Amino acid sequence: MLCSLRERSSDADPLAERAEHFRLGVSVLSLPLSPPDLAFRTHCPYCAFQCGIRMDDTVADEARRIQGDPHFPVNNGQLCIKGWTSSALLRHPARLLSPLVRDSRSQPLREATWDEALDRIADAMRRTRDKHGADANGVFGSGALTNEKAYLLGKFARVALGTANIDYNGRYCMSSAAAGANRAFGIDRGMPFPVSDIEHAAVVVLVGANCADTLPPIMQWFDRQKRQGGRLVVLDPRRTATAKVADLHLAVTPGTDLALANGLLYLLIEEGHLNAEYVARRTVGFEAARATALGYHPAHVERLTGVPEAAMRQLVRWMAAAPSCMILSGRGAEQHSKGVDTVHAWINLALALGLPGKPYSGWACLTGQGNGQGGREHGQKADQLPGYQLIENPVHRERVAAVWGVPAESLPRKGLSAYELLDAVGGAVKSLFVMGSNVAVASPDTTRIIGRLKSSDFLAVCDAFPNDTTALADVVLPVYQWAEEDGTMTNFEGRVIRRRQTTRPPRGPRGDLDILRELADRLGHGERFAFRTAGEVFAEFRRATAGGPADYSGISYEKIDAGDGVFWPCPTEDHPGTPHLFADRFHHADGKAKFFAVEHRPGGDAPDAEFPYLFTTGRYKEHYNSGAQTRHVPRLTDAQPLPRLQLHPTVAHRHRILTDTLVSLESRRGRAEFTADVTADIRPDTLFAPFHWGGRQAANVLTGSALDPVSRMPEFKLAAVRIVAGPEGSK
Amino acid sequence: MKKRLAIVGNGMAAGRLLDDLFRRNAGARFDVTVFGEEAHGCYNRILLGRIIGGSTTDDILTKPRAWYADRGVAFHSDTRVTRLDTAARKLVTAAGAEFAFDACVLATGSAPFVPPLDNLKGADDCPKVGAFLFRTVDDCERIRTYARPASTAVVLGGGLLGLEAAKALSDLGLHVTVVHLPEWLMNLQVDRLGGEFVRRAVEKLGIFVRTGVAATGIVGETKVEGVTLKTGEILSADMLVIAAGIRPRTDVAVASNVPVKRGIVVNDLLATAVPGVYAVGECAEHNGTVYGIVPPIWEQCETLADLLTGANPTARYRGSKLYTKLKVAGVDVSSMGLVEPQFDTDEVLQVIEDRRGIYRKLIVRDGKLVGGVTVGDGDAAPALARWFDRADPLPANRLDVLCSGDISPAAADPEICNCHHVSASTLMAAIADGCTTLPALSAATKAGTGCGSCRGQLANLILKTAKTAAV
Repeated sequence: MLCSLRERSSDADPLAERAEHFRLGVSVLSLPLSPPDLAFRTHCPYCAFQCGIRMDDTVADEARRIQGDPHFPVNNGQLCIKGWTSSALLRHPARLLSPLVRDSRSQPLREATWDEALDRIADAMRRTRDKHGADANGVFGSGALTNEKAYLLGKFARVALGTANIDYNGRYCMSSAAAGANRAFGIDRGMPFPVSDIEHAAVVVLVGANCADTLPPIMQWFDRQKRQGGRLVVLDPRRTATAKVADLHLAVTPGTDLALANGLLYLLIEEGHLNAEYVARRTVGFEAARATALGYHPAHVERLTGVPEAAMRQLVRWMAAAPSCMILSGRGAEQHSKGVDTVHAWINLALALGLPGKPYSGWACLTGQGNGQGGREHGQKADQLPGYQLIENPVHRERVAAVWGVPAESLPRKGLSAYELLDAVGGAVKSLFVMGSNVAVASPDTTRIIGRLKSSDFLAVCDAFPNDTTALADVVLPVYQWAEEDGTMTNFEGRVIRRRQTTRPPRGPRGDLDILRELADRLGHGERFAFRTAGEVFAEFRRATAGGPADYSGISYEKIDAGDGVFWPCPTEDHPGTPHLFADRFHHADGKAKFFAVEHRPGGDAPDAEFPYLFTTGRYKEHYNSGAQTRHVPRLTDAQPLPRLQLHPTVAHRHRILTDTLVSLESRRGRAEFTADVTADIRPDTLFAPFHWGGRQAANVLTGSALDPVSRMPEFKLAAVRIVAGPEGSK
Repeated sequence: MKKRLAIVGNGMAAGRLLDDLFRRNAGARFDVTVFGEEAHGCYNRILLGRIIGGSTTDDILTKPRAWYADRGVAFHSDTRVTRLDTAARKLVTAAGAEFAFDACVLATGSAPFVPPLDNLKGADDCPKVGAFLFRTVDDCERIRTYARPASTAVVLGGGLLGLEAAKALSDLGLHVTVVHLPEWLMNLQVDRLGGEFVRRAVEKLGIFVRTGVAATGIVGETKVEGVTLKTGEILSADMLVIAAGIRPRTDVAVASNVPVKRGIVVNDLLATAVPGVYAVGECAEHNGTVYGIVPPIWEQCETLADLLTGANPTARYRGSKLYTKLKVAGVDVSSMGLVEPQFDTDEVLQVIEDRRGIYRKLIVRDGKLVGGVTVGDGDAAPALARWFDRADPLPANRLDVLCSGDISPAAADPEICNCHHVSASTLMAAIADGCTTLPALSAATKAGTGCGSCRGQLANLILKTAKTAAV
């Protein structure tokens, strides 16, 4: 049986327990308290949880320099190991301090002045445009950039370069959830409610999310939820750290979350739990979704998903009987060539139960990257303009062009999406400008992408550390890090927060905003980029979002400081922000949410006799994305030095693999090598490795390039592989 | 110019084929016309039992009329196609209407098999009042209308359909007897012992079972009053439901000179020997096999849609692995591949839990699962299906595949502090050594000095362990 049910103890008295905790010195306020001083308060450089931290740069001991901010109501003083070691990056010896240039592709990078480096980039951009047209310049952004940078990068591409081809690594992260939410609800804000609502949800279903490792401080909210008697259900092919604390774990076959959701909808209808009143009043399209779900008989779904019917019925009954219920979606369900349809299937289920808009209930996605939310709203996406406005919408074009002081018809149209953009390098795209993304590790089918980058006419990269992508660049610009400059971020709740400068930057690097200003100046557009501070960029940026779905126009730095951030939409100065969405209406013109009839389909790379295993990827608590930052922190690499391949004992026995031996995997695209971790915490048909490493340990050498037809999300979470026992060459 | 695609039949195969076609944007390539004999749009036949229980057609309908209209599909309900003029590429309906086509898919499905029964038909050559088939929504609505509590029913057939009908009638309060000619129930899906376990479960519901006996005729002049058996007995009955299996409907194919053996013969392209004529579903015979369950038919539809739309011209149907899982009379039954060993070298495992009513049988060939039967244990099925579908080599101890959970239960010594990887046993040892406050425990083990999220657990551990020590 591929699920486990845990009995919940009902004998614990929460009050007595709390008193004991107090006696023992455990409390959320266990950290030394001092009056909140804005100058010290900022946010962690890593994930979308954006923990509040207090950073005192005068403290000599690195381990004490950063503390969790007990007054920030998202993390309440907690940090994960990445957060409390994050200051190690600031004065790291490996840090890039000088611009680097390469005189030819065969020569190594050498140090250069800022003027030389910037001139080279501007010259290359101009040359590319003159020779091959404006769209031959590609721009690649990042979900780690502040709102101000994301906004300015988008404006730079559209105004200074005039290229349609700008996209960002968030395409690899949130695009399926974003597209699904936009189509179903008319708006995409990761969570339509504050994270603190989790505490009051009677049932929480985590679909393909291992947040104990990916957003560790969120676990306090599940702890509180469980203490109140709530139930936690986890769907994951692995028994993850998150699954281990769940009341019910469904070890679903990778790539079948959609079938499972449709199967649950079938059972929900069969058992009479449909919220017909809600469906009639607040939604459209149910009939088609129902007819489709009728094809998902439990026997069929069991065979596809590996989840026993009894467990499915248990889940449906819990969800239906609960006074409040949340479905939280993670990358495990979304990073597929059917990611958007999978998101729809789960939203359908939420709508059939009448959850969205109900207190402590609804569908939400757990955003991954630091500014994954803000980064996808402000115009560094190929189809978007600031404020989540659409580049193909004439009204939106007109509005943004007016703020930018350019004619609307001068704005380019929709460009290539992230993978397509990288795949076009050396083809239609001749020159690429990358800001804050290690694309040579974080992209699928990396062997192919590295080949593409090498075939470019020109590659420029802005980063704080040398990495696999800077190694291929013609010009590398060293940039400030998180604590060295100001800006705003939008966390996974849609809460706009301030990241403040809390330390002095080293000599040498510059801010991304400065770089964009300097380049724009060299390209003859200096007057539209003459911003001296992030605050000045924000002042223009909020105007550019006015009237858009993600309307920031009523937000100011002062307003963010006065509270614990501001939830968008916030259309006017006196608007308090919007912590909860959907109470009255959804954001389509008719105010209703939409069902989408979606069907299961196999992934782009189905297992066969030659490549029999399902390979999926994920994260370690100690590392972040491509590891470009975290692999420089000794305490993190000590704790998790290597990528380990999880495989089931039956598989290990079949291939005579022992724990800690090297194992090579091959897919149809490449080969990678990992250290074996034989564990019964994974399905016997599935292999798992984290993707934080590059080179021979790069998990994404194995993953494929099948894209979701709507979101263009690559299929990171499913590849067919075979085991080649022993390290490369030895057998 | 769009081509004209005619689909003869509007059952589950046709419905699935339509979905698969339109998912591949078939509307741009074809003008599609569907001919169905029933009055409704396509419905899910598997759920027919619900109609006897009181559900409406709408509850199991998968394609309302609007579905066809929205996609520009011409839908002719209540229309029986009698034959194709394959040379002229026309089809002819019972009413004599003619429709031209460029390609035609026969999805005529099955007809109920009616065993020879004396006196079954009345003067009008139709089954007598009180005798019913179990195939369509209309059949089921008639059964529901006729069934009265405290009346008695005989169900002819103890396979999937028969047991489902028997359960539905029993749920309405009728006295139900199942008469089944083979020697055990569900003889296509389970072996004799499995059949015994099914029988016990069925009888527990209050349904009477007679196996290994043929029904020979009907008693009653104008309506059903009883059923005679080969043994000479007469079972008195107010109604008779015939659910003794299905036969492929090949009448249109035969009338059109399309080659037919048991079903309409198709190749890996689901094409018949007649150019432009294809067949899918229960009416089709592929490589000597006629499939009567849903998953293979869906695979056929997918392949045919790939081919017709050009979405994947190299798509081929190579046959399906048989897998059935269902709840029969409240008991979970699964069956995959072989039911009995074929060669002396085939391994057979049987695990019999007589008192709990659970039966499991595995057939292993070359270290791989080639057949399996479970009765009474639904949770084992998904894992067995995986071994069967993937044909992975089984563990040396075959019984391991029947163990609950491929995924291990909680570790005996769980890691409490994930940041510093400190296990419960280490912490308990430290507490026993006198670290009975949180700061002391953290100082000694580093646990709780990372993200801090385990502090509650540490405190609980101190409380628990210290308490044990005090006692």
